[in-house]
Amino acid sequence: MRWTLRILSYGVFLAMLFVLVSIVVSGLPYLFRPGFFTAWPKRAMSEGGIFPMLVGSLMLMGLVFAISIPVGLVGTIFLSELAPRRLSMLLQSLAATMNSVPSIVYGVFGLALFCVKLGFGTSLLSASLALSTMSIPFFMNSAVEFLRAVPKELREGVISLGASKFQSTLMVLRASRNGILTSLMLTLGRAFSETAPILVTGAVFYSTKLPDKLTDPVMTLPTSIYAIVMNLGERSQWMARGMASLMVLIMIFIYSVVQLTRRNKRE
Amino acid sequence: MSEVVFEIKDLYAFYDDHCALQNVNLKIREKRVTAIMGPSGCGKSTLLRCLNRLNDLIPGFSLKGQILFRGQDIYRIRDLTEYRRRVTMVFQKPNPFPMSIFDNVAYGLRIHGITKKSILREKVEHALRMAALWDEVKEKLKKPAVQLSGGQQQRLCIARALALEPDVLLLDEPTSALDPIATMKIERLLEELAQQYTVVIVTHSMGQALRISDEVVFLYEGRLIEYGETSSIAKTPRHEVTKQFLTGKIG
Repeated sequence: MRWTLRILSYGVFLAMLFVLVSIVVSGLPYLFRPGFFTAWPKRAMSEGGIFPMLVGSLMLMGLVFAISIPVGLVGTIFLSELAPRRLSMLLQSLAATMNSVPSIVYGVFGLALFCVKLGFGTSLLSASLALSTMSIPFFMNSAVEFLRAVPKELREGVISLGASKFQSTLMVLRASRNGILTSLMLTLGRAFSETAPILVTGAVFYSTKLPDKLTDPVMTLPTSIYAIVMNLGERSQWMARGMASLMVLIMIFIYSVVQLTRRNKRE
Repeated sequence: MSEVVFEIKDLYAFYDDHCALQNVNLKIREKRVTAIMGPSGCGKSTLLRCLNRLNDLIPGFSLKGQILFRGQDIYRIRDLTEYRRRVTMVFQKPNPFPMSIFDNVAYGLRIHGITKKSILREKVEHALRMAALWDEVKEKLKKPAVQLSGGQQQRLCIARALALEPDVLLLDEPTSALDPIATMKIERLLEELAQQYTVVIVTHSMGQALRISDEVVFLYEGRLIEYGETSSIAKTPRHEVTKQFLTGKIG
């Protein structure tokens, strides 16, 4: 019995490792092609590099963070420090529900609201708003646990010296800053890899230039992988493999940072 | 007889429907150590936390009766910041802030508007000396406070409170999480502090109350059952529960 369990658990672990390693390995050689990171794709993505997709993904991440961090932090502080207990529970289960909504729904919602109703069109702005709609509850759900884990003695200690609610909240943020950082990294990972919400709101298969204003459409890594695999022939598949490999490597990096910050906290 | 700092009149305290204190009447005098004693759940922490209105933070808490601080009803005070500077509190579990030793002690001063470096440095040193911690930490003021031992952390919390130059120091079982040596150091410290400050300490240790307090208050099931000079109560307890406490049958 013990051996069966052991073999099974190693098996599961090896299967997961196999998935990651085979994705990375199958695309890894292409990352070293000259111009892979710096050139534009050419001849229906069969030559050239991924420069606009990489930059587009980074721009999108920048905007998503600019929107999600302030809104998410304010929401988290409200949930953990300010809201009465019942309201806080209600709002948190709302955030949890939003977390389990399929991501294409955020795409369709964003299409209806940001692209059409608000008239932002298929654009960087619409895509980052749609992605933020998904990222904010994800961030709040994770970060609020870290704020709640701050012992009440710390809040009382601050208050008992005559501090205001605002000052005690700052102290709570300070005490949970590693956890907040972890939540940010997890949100970054989720938003970076999410495809569906941007597929219909701002990402395009091909654009001749980088977006130079918020209302321009954008090329990104995950949507380009999707587009190549769905629409193009064998000669272009290497680029999708290269991008997939790059994305997995980036995710491994992000999760390693998360693990490191967690370890530091324990020490 | 020294001056009365706190006068508690007909005090009732509730958590939602649960009545934690009933009809407590009590005077706490200046520059003495008053110990609040009683078994767990008797309301002693509630009483202490009423004195700097920390219970305001707890949802469902309410209060009837009056607490006068030097003649002023504390539940009518608007500026709690200044009041809590004068009546400050040390907790059961040491709760150093996630910052350096220096910044921990300076924290209270900073939130009360003192930012000049030379003054901060002087006051922090003075407070750490008063808390008998200076010699142990003077070389590592920039180190994180969480690296100190439990006993040192608790003295740091006392220093943090003393830095505000308070009138009253409230302590909620400050030694219950500490070993005997650290406990002894803090007890000695409290005896010294009582020459300058009014000290109110919640404790469940009869020995501690006998060692350091001038007056003792016994609470039982939310009622005050006995209070007076520690020495005379130790000799001639009037109430059955007090007797049991003194003889070590409970407590």
